[in-house]
Amino acid sequence: MSRKEQDIKRLIASQCHIGTKQLHFDLKRYVSHRSDNGSYILNLEETWQHIKLAARVIAAIEQPQDVMVVSSRPIGQRAVIKFAHYTQASSTRSARWTPGTLTNQSNSASGKFQEPQLLIVTDPHLDRQAIVEASYVNIPVIALCNSDTPLQYVDIPIPVGNRETKSISMIYWLLAREVKILRGELRQDEEWDVLVDLFYHKEITNDQLGITDTQVKQEAEGEDHEQQAEGEKADKDW
Amino acid sequence: MAEQEQQQAPPAPEQEQAPQAEKKGFGRGGRGQRERREGGAPRQNRGPRRFGGEQEWTPLTKLGRLVKAGKIKSLETIFQFSIPIKEYQIVDHFLKNLKEEPLALGPVQKQTCAGQRTRFKAYVVVGDNHQHIGLGWKSAKEVQGAIKGAVINAKLNLIPVRKGYWGNKIAQPHTVPCKVTGKEGSVRVRLVPAPRGTGIVAAITSKKVLQMAGIQDCYTQSKGSTRTRSNFLKATFHALKETYNFLTPDLWGHTKLESTPFQEHSEFLAALK
Repeated sequence: MSRKEQDIKRLIASQCHIGTKQLHFDLKRYVSHRSDNGSYILNLEETWQHIKLAARVIAAIEQPQDVMVVSSRPIGQRAVIKFAHYTQASSTRSARWTPGTLTNQSNSASGKFQEPQLLIVTDPHLDRQAIVEASYVNIPVIALCNSDTPLQYVDIPIPVGNRETKSISMIYWLLAREVKILRGELRQDEEWDVLVDLFYHKEITNDQLGITDTQVKQEAEGEDHEQQAEGEKADKDW
Repeated sequence: MAEQEQQQAPPAPEQEQAPQAEKKGFGRGGRGQRERREGGAPRQNRGPRRFGGEQEWTPLTKLGRLVKAGKIKSLETIFQFSIPIKEYQIVDHFLKNLKEEPLALGPVQKQTCAGQRTRFKAYVVVGDNHQHIGLGWKSAKEVQGAIKGAVINAKLNLIPVRKGYWGNKIAQPHTVPCKVTGKEGSVRVRLVPAPRGTGIVAAITSKKVLQMAGIQDCYTQSKGSTRTRSNFLKATFHALKETYNFLTPDLWGHTKLESTPFQEHSEFLAALK
């Protein structure tokens, strides 16, 4: 079985081909057909080609940290962090995209001003702010798109359906692997020893961590006090 | 710096500096403290010094750092790659003889529970009378502040102006390359190429902008409420912007794909961080 066949199998196993029940006309060319229950099925051939293309673009950036990966969706955050880790890209520290990250260079901003050369986005709907800012500063955008996603300001869409952590993680895993191959860190036929599971998002409940409800409440109050104190200090300094 | 200040201070000019500090403990210490604070803080922020010395500019953007390090040869590189200019010092670096002209100034008001809050809005045009023009506006509590802010805004909005010929291509381009039009609000401004020696045939507001852009000859037509100075200025500005948006036959050829300054100097930028 060729590399490509293996990859397509992986994509199907992660259900990357199952889109939503709505279709945006931008994505017509990436859709193969509509299933019985009304979901649009994406053409994985296109997905695979676009992953290859995106990987080439990422690998072409001279400084790896000039690539920025974003996900405000919780199920994509771990995948994004792992991707950044394995390709030395940069990612936003928190889920929330602070408006002005790409456009506000003033010192008064919380020092989060970034000037990447490329932006990779997990959901154009939710990460809208990031995409719009990229349009202000001439930064090309790669985005994982579902069948109902508008492609405005997206330069390389990667059609992937079924917004579950499995499918998102598989795409990021494949992207990271392709980038490593292009950079020479992995051989063409070599199997990457890192598993996709590492990219999966896990809901860690408080029970698992052994934190009780009262502890949570205390911590929340503590945070409020902290924030209050910070606010008061800011007032005094001002 | 500190020495100069001490010389200017009236008491005991002839004594040595060290014993002086000890003897006149409190007074000296007090004055010295004040002087030290004034000397330590950037002098450029105080009165007359501002116009004399150059302010130390710490770039906040990649482009700024490249410009300061002299990696970018001209403004046209920045325009070629459509890189947004976020720091006005970048413009100052390339264009030393930029003229600033406030063209519209007026009070604007906002209603508050305690009456009206008046601010001043200034529109400033910035240009080198050759091929660059910028239009900026700013609203501030004081007129001076508004004009200063508008000048900075104008520098950030700087655009290159394309000039052409009316007829034979002799000597330097002197007029707009083709008929261009700009609009803002209800105002439409149309710039039409004119033969050499015509001068700028336009209303005073438009004329000033065109002069500072370096256009020597131009016919204009305007429509709409040109009394609205701000819109008239913006419309003229947009029209000038169009000169480089227009695809003329001489631009039909292929342009070689070049790497952006950020790509070219990526190692330099990474090392800076």
